Amino acid sequence: MTGRSAAGTDPVAGDPERELIPARAGIGLRFAHHRIVAETRPPVAWFEVHTENYMGGGAPLRCLDAIRADYPVSLHGVGLSLGSAEGLSAEHLARVARVVERVEPGLVSEHLSWSVTGSVYLADLLPLPMTEEALAVLSRNVDQLQTVLRRPILIENPSSYLQYRHSTIPEWEFLAAVAARTGCGILCDVNNVYVSASNHGWDAAAYLAALPAAAVGEIHLAGHSLRTLADGRSIRIDDHGSPVADAVWALYAAALERFGPIPTLIEWDNDIPALETLLREAARADAAMSSIGPPPGRTKTLEHGQRREPAHADTA
Amino acid sequence: MPTLLELQRAVAAGLRGRDQEAAAAFVRGDGFTPGERLSIYRNTLLGVLTNALGLAYPAVRRLVGDAFFDVAAQAFIEQRPPASAYLNEYGQGFADFLAGFPPAASLPYLPDVARLERSVNRALHASDAVPLALADLSEVAAALQARIVLTPHPSLDLLRLDYPADAIWRAVLSGDEDALARVDPSREPVWLMVERSEQGVDVTRMTAAEWDFTEQLVGGTPLGEALDRGGDFEPSVLLAGHLLRGRFVSFTVPADPRIPSFS
Repeated sequence: MTGRSAAGTDPVAGDPERELIPARAGIGLRFAHHRIVAETRPPVAWFEVHTENYMGGGAPLRCLDAIRADYPVSLHGVGLSLGSAEGLSAEHLARVARVVERVEPGLVSEHLSWSVTGSVYLADLLPLPMTEEALAVLSRNVDQLQTVLRRPILIENPSSYLQYRHSTIPEWEFLAAVAARTGCGILCDVNNVYVSASNHGWDAAAYLAALPAAAVGEIHLAGHSLRTLADGRSIRIDDHGSPVADAVWALYAAALERFGPIPTLIEWDNDIPALETLLREAARADAAMSSIGPPPGRTKTLEHGQRREPAHADTA
Repeated sequence: MPTLLELQRAVAAGLRGRDQEAAAAFVRGDGFTPGERLSIYRNTLLGVLTNALGLAYPAVRRLVGDAFFDVAAQAFIEQRPPASAYLNEYGQGFADFLAGFPPAASLPYLPDVARLERSVNRALHASDAVPLALADLSEVAAALQARIVLTPHPSLDLLRLDYPADAIWRAVLSGDEDALARVDPSREPVWLMVERSEQGVDVTRMTAAEWDFTEQLVGGTPLGEALDRGGDFEPSVLLAGHLLRGRFVSFTVPADPRIPSFS
């Protein structure tokens, strides 16, 4: 069963009020915009925040509580290291679980990557070798996370700058296999697909076409940069510090054709611009979603701009 | 073919600036060398962690300048990398590292400024807790009140520093060059209380006796014993102030060890 496990399935018993993330554009909320969002309540359909930024108490958590009262919120983790051969850190897992319990997010996501080994956090989303062993490790860790959180999560494809010699499975097949084995959904970062495809000579459109559409529950869009060395060699770097590139918007249109309108996040983490800039990017994503119809075979009830699907509506 | 664990250990060693060769052997070239590819990740690692330290130690950063700070941070990151992605906690030990960092030896007060900033950052991100109300304590029978042991708020910290780091820290972060010029950074101990407030984090100077009394309460000394000591101040007044400011969140009344138990 590759359940449509993203926004729609299995509302946790005892937590019926959890607001689902609508099939509209959302914005990655960073501290720089906390105040303006809290004070002006801009017309944004939903926000996504980094789980790791809310693991303490004090002002950040209070501010998120206030925003959460008015908007659906998605929690996006960057540090659980789902690909660690040594398994998940019990301490970090407990911190993630506490934030999830507090925020009651519409979606919870993490990455197809690793960042911890030997109790050292390496502060980046490091690529996994695409092997059967890594697939088993990732699936086991995703299982554990979903068991602890009592909900399905989404796994995001990272941008990558290297490939291992002994990899045997294409990344898109690896993602599909994790979703099939664990029932997790896929967070398709279209910018990351573009960056990795460009860096490794993959076909970005074929990547999207190979993903199991029913499992894709969210899309990320962000800016990247092209780094060119003096000798003319170049590599694309996913630095979230600029507008979404035109080529990525084009790939997004292809993704929407395939996946239908699904929650789409605008991410911007470096040189964070005025909120209006993010609102304009979000409006562009919303316009792209409006220009296509609802996806075939997908039950969809819209109320107050919220996407609410009956449990199991899309499990095939 | 390496196991996943072997690969992750090798990549970690490479990214931490130790053995680059083992990781490089597992990485495809394809236009860039394995070393060039791995260095993209190493640069991110150093950038993210240096930035995290800079956010936690803004006054240290301004005192030494960005270039010096980046060098010190990189050396610290290589010695003491974080254990988790909860980076608000990162930086434990940076003050001691600076104390033993030869290029910083000309600023003897720098480690104390770092100790204060560590405490401030810790207070900023400490867990929330509901303060103890005075009424809760008065429910304890009068005969037992001397045995009360208080639990401090998670954000509360007490620092005894050799240099007036609070004055330096304030002057540096105010950006007021005149204020900084007026600070006398010579060795003179200060007793500080650090706590989160509605507005941010408060750093308060105390007398040595007030600090000792508060330190005893924080350390679990029963109320009666702490109040008996006193000093150049009225301990019950200071205690009331602590409670009013929400510096303690709960209490226990341990059995008197002098009374034998027959349970």
